[in-house]
Amino acid sequence: MPRTRKTLSILVAAALTVTACGRSGTAGTPATATTVGTGPATGTVTLWAQGAEAEKLPAILAEFEAANPDVTVTVTPVPWDAAHSKYQTAIAGGTTPDIGQLGTTWMSEFTAAGALAAVPADLGAGPFHPGAVASTRFDGGTYAVPWYVDTPVLYYRTDLAARAGFRQPPATWDDFKNLAKAMQTRAGAEYGVALAPRDFQGFLPFAWSNGATLTTPDARTWTLDSPAMIEAARYYQSFFTEGIADRTPSTDPGAYQAAFTDGSVPMFIGGPFEVAALADLGGPGFAAKYATATLPRARSATSFVGGSHLVVFEKSANAAAAWRLIRFLSLPQTQVAWYKATGDLPSAQAAWDDPALAGDPKLAVFGRQLQDVDSPPSTAEWTRLQDAGNAQMERLTVSGEDPARAMATLQATAAGIGTGAR
Amino acid sequence: MTARRVLLHAALIAAAALTVLPFLWMLLGSVKPDSEIRADPAAWLPHTPTLDNYRQWFGALRIGTYFGNSVLVALVTVLGNLLFCSMVGYALAKLRFPGRRLLFGLVMVTLMVPGVVTFVPLFVVVARLGLVDTYAGLILPFLTSPTGVFLMRQYLRSIPDELLEAARIDGAGEFRIFARVVLPLCGPPLATLGILQFLASWNNFLWPLVVAQSQDRYTLPVALSLYSTGEQATDYGLLLAGSVMVITPIVALFIALQRWFVQGVATAGLK
Amino acid sequence: MTAAARRRQAWTAWAFTLPFVAVFGLFMLVPLVSSVLMSFTDFRGSDVTTPWAVNVVGLDQYTALFADPAFRRAMLNTGYFVLVGIPLTMAVALALALALNTGITRFRTAFRVGFYTPVVTSVVAVAVVWRFVLQPDGPLNRLLGGLGITGPDWLHSTTWAMPSLIVMAAWRNMGTLLVIFLAGLQALPAEVVEAAAADGAGPWQRFRHVILPLLRPTLLLGAVLISVVYLQFFEEPYVMTRGGPLDATLSATYYTFNQFGFGRYGTASAAAYVLFVVIAAVSVLQFRLLRARE
Repeated sequence: MPRTRKTLSILVAAALTVTACGRSGTAGTPATATTVGTGPATGTVTLWAQGAEAEKLPAILAEFEAANPDVTVTVTPVPWDAAHSKYQTAIAGGTTPDIGQLGTTWMSEFTAAGALAAVPADLGAGPFHPGAVASTRFDGGTYAVPWYVDTPVLYYRTDLAARAGFRQPPATWDDFKNLAKAMQTRAGAEYGVALAPRDFQGFLPFAWSNGATLTTPDARTWTLDSPAMIEAARYYQSFFTEGIADRTPSTDPGAYQAAFTDGSVPMFIGGPFEVAALADLGGPGFAAKYATATLPRARSATSFVGGSHLVVFEKSANAAAAWRLIRFLSLPQTQVAWYKATGDLPSAQAAWDDPALAGDPKLAVFGRQLQDVDSPPSTAEWTRLQDAGNAQMERLTVSGEDPARAMATLQATAAGIGTGAR
Repeated sequence: MTARRVLLHAALIAAAALTVLPFLWMLLGSVKPDSEIRADPAAWLPHTPTLDNYRQWFGALRIGTYFGNSVLVALVTVLGNLLFCSMVGYALAKLRFPGRRLLFGLVMVTLMVPGVVTFVPLFVVVARLGLVDTYAGLILPFLTSPTGVFLMRQYLRSIPDELLEAARIDGAGEFRIFARVVLPLCGPPLATLGILQFLASWNNFLWPLVVAQSQDRYTLPVALSLYSTGEQATDYGLLLAGSVMVITPIVALFIALQRWFVQGVATAGLK
Repeated sequence: MTAAARRRQAWTAWAFTLPFVAVFGLFMLVPLVSSVLMSFTDFRGSDVTTPWAVNVVGLDQYTALFADPAFRRAMLNTGYFVLVGIPLTMAVALALALALNTGITRFRTAFRVGFYTPVVTSVVAVAVVWRFVLQPDGPLNRLLGGLGITGPDWLHSTTWAMPSLIVMAAWRNMGTLLVIFLAGLQALPAEVVEAAAADGAGPWQRFRHVILPLLRPTLLLGAVLISVVYLQFFEEPYVMTRGGPLDATLSATYYTFNQFGFGRYGTASAAAYVLFVVIAAVSVLQFRLLRARE
């Protein structure tokens, strides 16, 4: 039909003309920080939050709404797995809420898209854990407020470790491997430790602890085949080649937790929410059978820091109220109440002095671990690099590839991807 | 003959048992406490059956809203598809008009383009039209489907032209022929299309997730995913109970439409 | 037909297609054209708010794709899946449809519902049960062990992971084809089939020379629909293997999905359109083959 064809060709031509405009020099908008002031919040604030956070938020927000009677906060729960897509499309369609909960590794992508508002200079929140702050920065501006932090530590069965002859948590890499082996030979474990065979992020603490870095200090060049990196990879690989870790663990969600509670794999590395999951699964009394510990040390004992940030979107019609709400959520006392409701670790340093946190030995470990953490560079290319890393980890752990060669391949791929630094 | 019949039945029963097992596992799992579902080795029958998972859905989790949204969206989508796709299918199969080949070509093209690639542009269109967070935004893009058009055209091609010519000679208009002669012959394909579109709409997840901006517009699969991903991924019981409730209406619909597939209905119409 | 009648029929036909064309144009063609255009640019996730400020890179995305070993692997995997999966699924579905249509008088409804349950069962439950069946010391290997065969670790073997997913996909999709084939069988004129039986044709001859030729449009429909689904297979590796081991089950759609996740919209669009060309070619081939003797 000629008419359709003509309409189509006009569409194509029009689109091509406009498309040909080309990229302007910088994509990021300059940070135009507004001010919040101290008055009460008014109007409607929409907030998207993921999973457990969305479920527990309304109770915490009641206090904020009582103090600001003219404000209405609407919380929309978003499933974690699809949250990235939801924010991505909302930004493309210009239908973002006032406040969003963003994973720390998404920050650079959405900031580069110009979707986030800069944090007002007079917000006055914090101080936060330094490890959490790094990912809120982009091109010299600050675009998010850390909400909660998440860092993996070592979980191990104290009862089985005692049977294996260990009364203390493993302090060094050698201790760690010896304990894992002894768990198998002397405590009846099937595998000594649950390590992910295909997980670059899970390997990073080992790399960092061995003194390796992901990039040069200026964050412009990847350094994934340094001797320290290769040595860490060889150490990680040895758990699989020596049969201490399962090359093909079950991929059912929570399978490693079940193996931990039944003692068949009595160690894993995991975040704070495992405590609640293990209490559910292990039943009463199980808490006495295991402990958490900071990661074993090589040159350092560095873990990964993740978690969630709160952001205000550039298109928000009620930014002032949104920032006041974020300020409320970052107050130390709010964060302590939030920890009690959800188990999310406070990002505000002052919250850690509260007896609810300081008094719990399993949690104090997270506080200590947070003193030595690192995070991947703030680049939109991270997810892609991570995927390439996962593939090389699989070669290393499952196919038994030479660590030097695997890391060289990864470095070559990474060089092709680039760091995205301008 | 009898021996063969017994053999055939036995084979079919074995095959059916294999296909139904995961379904059964899901049903049984939905009345187990979480610790039993994840026990290793897992038992088939619940040790201490519980309705807690269902209670939670009907209590705090506002399942009524999600269910209502799902029903509304699916029903309108199915009705639109039945009507519009059969109209287009009829035109493409039995009427001559300029642009017919181009239209069919475009339909086939869109049928074959992977949906993942048009997702974001489609959302931008819907956002520009101001349809975000509305039922129209949830329904309109799926009111017709290339699959449906293709399916109806394929079936309608097998209707003998003589039947239509006879009606035309009797002086019936095309709309009358369509409504009185063609549609009554379309029981099985319409039932098939209805099931396929209901299933597609009922299980659609990503689209309602991004178009619905408030919980009041969420459909069942979106609500279900709140409890199946991230840290909650381990709450299997809740997830399975939710899945059972998602699936029950489809199975009911399938059983209801059964009679359209039973021998005789279609051929009776042709006589 | 007279010119006036022809014109009247054309107007009627357009009236019939009008509602469809309106929805189709707005919600399918516009996104489709935009995404085609995107595949010729370096569009990235960070460009969504300024979609016009991207560079036109011509065919660069396409050449880069074919230089990527992961993409070539994904295309090969997709081919493997489709070439084995489609005949398998169609044969099983057709056999079941014939058996249900002719040989079965009792429990007909129960059987139909039974064979359809995999289509509606949530993929989460399906994954859990299939992983259980396929695990190294699971029911399948115990069964094989009884026959003196040592079964592999199905999902973690680069050789066996793909066949496992193919069988699982056939199991999940045969219900849809069954419904379509049953509707097709129901639409066959009963007299013709009965006449063949009266002529003394055996069941196989009746199937081969009477039913099969008459069923051709339905088979074509089923083949095209299942090809479109299978060429885009994604859910099975997503829930079972995450594309592994060592990319053995990475599909073309999985690759595209990953590229979107990385924010590489241009690359993802290009990958999707390469897949589209393959789907279109396969469909044209099927049209030719199944139409040949119409």
